[in-house]
Amino acid sequence: MKLSFALPHWPRDTRDTLFILAVIVWTVGPHLSHLPLWCIAMTGGILFWRARLALVGGVLPGRWFILGVLVLAMGLSFWSFGTLLGKQAGITMLVALVALKTLELRARRDAFVIFFLGFFLVLTHFLYSQSIGVALAMLVSVWGLLTALVLTHMPVGQPALRQAAGLAARTALLGAPVMVLLFVLFPRVAPLWGVPQDSMANTGLSDHLRMGSVAELAKSDAIVMRIRFLDPPPAPTAMYFRGPVLSHFDGIEWRPLSRPTFPSQVTPRAELRLQGKPLRYEVTLEPQHLREVPLLEAAASPPQREGVGMPLDLQLTEDLRWQARRVVSERVRLSAVAHTEFQHGPTERLLGLQDHLVLPPGTSPRTLEWAAALRRQPGLAKADGRTLAQAVLRHIRVENFRYTLTPGLYGVTAPSTAIDEFWLDRREGFCEHFATAFVVVMRALDVPARIVTGYQGADPLPVDGYHIVRQNSAHAWAEFWQPGEGWVRADPTAAVSPDRINRSVTLAAPPGLVVGTLRNALGGAEFLSRWQTSLEAVNNRWNQWVLSYSSSQQLDLLKQIGFIAPRWEDLAWTLLIVIGSVTTAGLSAGWWRRHRLDPWTTQMAGVRRKLVGLGVHPAEHDPPLTLARRVDDALGPRAQALGQALRELDNQRYGEAQPARALRRQFKHIRALARALSQPS
Amino acid sequence: MPRLSAPPSSFVRRHVCAWWQARHPRTDTQRLTHRNIYILPTKAGLLFAITMLTLLVASINYQLNLGYALTFLLSGSALVSMHLTHNTLHGLTLYLRPVAPTFAHHPAQLDVALQGPTDSRRDRFGIGLRLAGAPIESITWLNVNAGSRTTAQLSFVPPVRGRQSVPQWTVETRFPLGLFRAWAVWRPAAEVLVYPTPEATPPPLPAVQTSPGGGSAAQRQGRGEMDGIRTYRRGDPIKAIVWKKAAQAMASGAELVSRDTQAAQPCELWLDWQACVGLSAEERLSRLAAWVVLAQQRDIAFGLRLPDRALEPANGDAHRHQALQALALWS
Repeated sequence: MKLSFALPHWPRDTRDTLFILAVIVWTVGPHLSHLPLWCIAMTGGILFWRARLALVGGVLPGRWFILGVLVLAMGLSFWSFGTLLGKQAGITMLVALVALKTLELRARRDAFVIFFLGFFLVLTHFLYSQSIGVALAMLVSVWGLLTALVLTHMPVGQPALRQAAGLAARTALLGAPVMVLLFVLFPRVAPLWGVPQDSMANTGLSDHLRMGSVAELAKSDAIVMRIRFLDPPPAPTAMYFRGPVLSHFDGIEWRPLSRPTFPSQVTPRAELRLQGKPLRYEVTLEPQHLREVPLLEAAASPPQREGVGMPLDLQLTEDLRWQARRVVSERVRLSAVAHTEFQHGPTERLLGLQDHLVLPPGTSPRTLEWAAALRRQPGLAKADGRTLAQAVLRHIRVENFRYTLTPGLYGVTAPSTAIDEFWLDRREGFCEHFATAFVVVMRALDVPARIVTGYQGADPLPVDGYHIVRQNSAHAWAEFWQPGEGWVRADPTAAVSPDRINRSVTLAAPPGLVVGTLRNALGGAEFLSRWQTSLEAVNNRWNQWVLSYSSSQQLDLLKQIGFIAPRWEDLAWTLLIVIGSVTTAGLSAGWWRRHRLDPWTTQMAGVRRKLVGLGVHPAEHDPPLTLARRVDDALGPRAQALGQALRELDNQRYGEAQPARALRRQFKHIRALARALSQPS
Repeated sequence: MPRLSAPPSSFVRRHVCAWWQARHPRTDTQRLTHRNIYILPTKAGLLFAITMLTLLVASINYQLNLGYALTFLLSGSALVSMHLTHNTLHGLTLYLRPVAPTFAHHPAQLDVALQGPTDSRRDRFGIGLRLAGAPIESITWLNVNAGSRTTAQLSFVPPVRGRQSVPQWTVETRFPLGLFRAWAVWRPAAEVLVYPTPEATPPPLPAVQTSPGGGSAAQRQGRGEMDGIRTYRRGDPIKAIVWKKAAQAMASGAELVSRDTQAAQPCELWLDWQACVGLSAEERLSRLAAWVVLAQQRDIAFGLRLPDRALEPANGDAHRHQALQALALWS
């Protein structure tokens, strides 16, 4: 806090107000990229204006003005988001509200609302990221808010910011054991009610697909799962983790097939046919907030849950997904078996496969024409699915298709022609574009096909023996139906960018200007990757110990303490018992302290008793100086040394501060003198 | 807090009052301990609790572990702040110096000192003192630094003359976070002598009578010279203190010394109860008090005649005090 020396000497109120404003700016700062422009401008303007008012001592605006701006902010918020609820709109309103509230900051006590809104603001950052960086930045925010709160309650004089910050830090540090205790033992329960969907849409797989939504994933480094193989690990090419399967296409958006149109006898089933050796592995899955559990293809038996926790009741669906009965919102550890060589789906052309041929009328007419032209090629007129798929993949490889994470928007003018635009005109895109176009083409060629989403590949180097799959490994591929074989996987993205599949190098977003310059300055990518590896270890711990701490870890902990079959009620009991014993200990300490008097009072009482023995009659409130005079009066010159010692004591007590030790020694000296006087000479 | 001024009407109320007074014995040296410190959450504390609950629900619903961490960090800090708030008062001792007399409806000055235990190294911040039941704006804020004594000047306005007990005080704090308010009630044992309110616009002083005794000229000459010195007595005017001698005396451990001026005055002024005809008793007392003040201001020796007693003419602060005391306690 060296900064405080450089600051000009403002009056107390000005300084406190500016400090609160600085804390608000720091807290709002990380939200800038999520806020609409008008909100940034409004907040910045208000905070700047408030700072000016504080500096020049201007008059704050009236209540009606603030109300007016609030209504304006609500209107703009509604205009931006179409609602006042939901994450984005909520945060925007919260930021505007905090800024407006500073205009009502008259007395120091008015600041309470700002502090509490500030704590909410801190929480909202965690909806976007829970990384170490964000955690540290928000720790500073909380410290700042607590400091401002402490400042508010130091009404005398002009306490230094450093002092208030120290007191706030002390309060928080003393509270840290409580925090750790509650964090470890507070039962982690499932969400109390459904959270608005938009909160999770951009941080994981979702059950719908629209061009662009997977591009968000490709930029996220967040870890999805950690895998430890008990058998030799498969090649990265074979690592397909199956998530939601999307087969219902309304012309714009892909969704899972909710209800088959055909009777159950003719609806395709999973019909998994395994080949090759089983591959055993353990996987720790981060919360995906989906019912699907992305497992390595293909898993024939339900994975076993390690540790304890609420049962998942995993079921194998017709499209080979493993689905829990509920949304999995905690971290789970599973041990599973995969067969990377397998066949599945009906071998006969069942009527139910018609569901995977549907193309809404008017969808991508030019692509359909292109497919019809392909069909007319010699040798393809009567070809089966596999031959046709190979022809389409060859087309992708030969033509100038380009893999990019930033293809721009498709179908801006007419959503139904988005695939035409991609397939025939611009030919730039990522897995989602390729998979979508491939499936549409296959369906146009009368081959049943569907989109499979999930994760593909893993980090090239295992950390501590764990293969790490990240959100940027999110992938979309396709399956088409081949008579006699069933569903066959086809990865059209591999056709355009074989690198991505073969070496499993995830395509990172192109570095921005700053990162690019940094990379060159620091000695290239190698340095960065080494740096990244050690950071990774720290991040790994952070993820494992803090972010992924969930009910299963809690119950594991109870097991280690000695519970045989812990349930979450046991957690609550443990917490209550710990709180109870700490409280009891605190009460006992308080009882002990209550019966302890101030040493000065005790010692003075002792001195008075001695003086009474000598025939001096001190009053209870007499300071040592008065005692000295009384001693002089009553005992005369023979007690000169005692009087002198009492005067010294007075000086020690009320003069310059002396260590407690010096006082104790002086008392001892006085008692010795008094004793000597009381002995008959 | 039971209202002590109102006469207890019901049985319950009488008992509550008795219990309350037994809990808070009158004392000029009040030590604050577990027994007499009360603590409750403030309005802001309740708001904070609601905030914490909301943060917790948000953390549960969005499954945010850092949200849990934030909620628990703040809850832990709040819990600690409760202890810190209590400890700000705990162990503190309040001292009340003897209170100087004052006039009714005029503020009485109270010199209060606060001190923590000698072995405590904690500075204590944001301790407020106010009359029990007075608005928060009237509060006097203090810091008490470790190992030192903090003094404060408080005042209250006694409504009637006579010997009045000092009203009860509230010593409170919200430091550090303002989520809890700890307070203690202090009922000082000291009494303050309250003179009657001097009449705002009194008629001029009655006519001066010549003194019966002689030698006034010599005595008059003697004024201003030192008639002797004696130990300082409360009530001596500051200008009567012999500072040079006092400094020497204090260096050797003695107390202040002041001039002993026992000089009688040449003229005599009698302030007489009977002179205030047509007034009620209290109004007469007010007028006499005003006259005493006036006479003192003009340095005129005066005597006071009340129905049941009389004070011989004299001068000086001690005499003035005697006269006013007689007025204050007249019944």
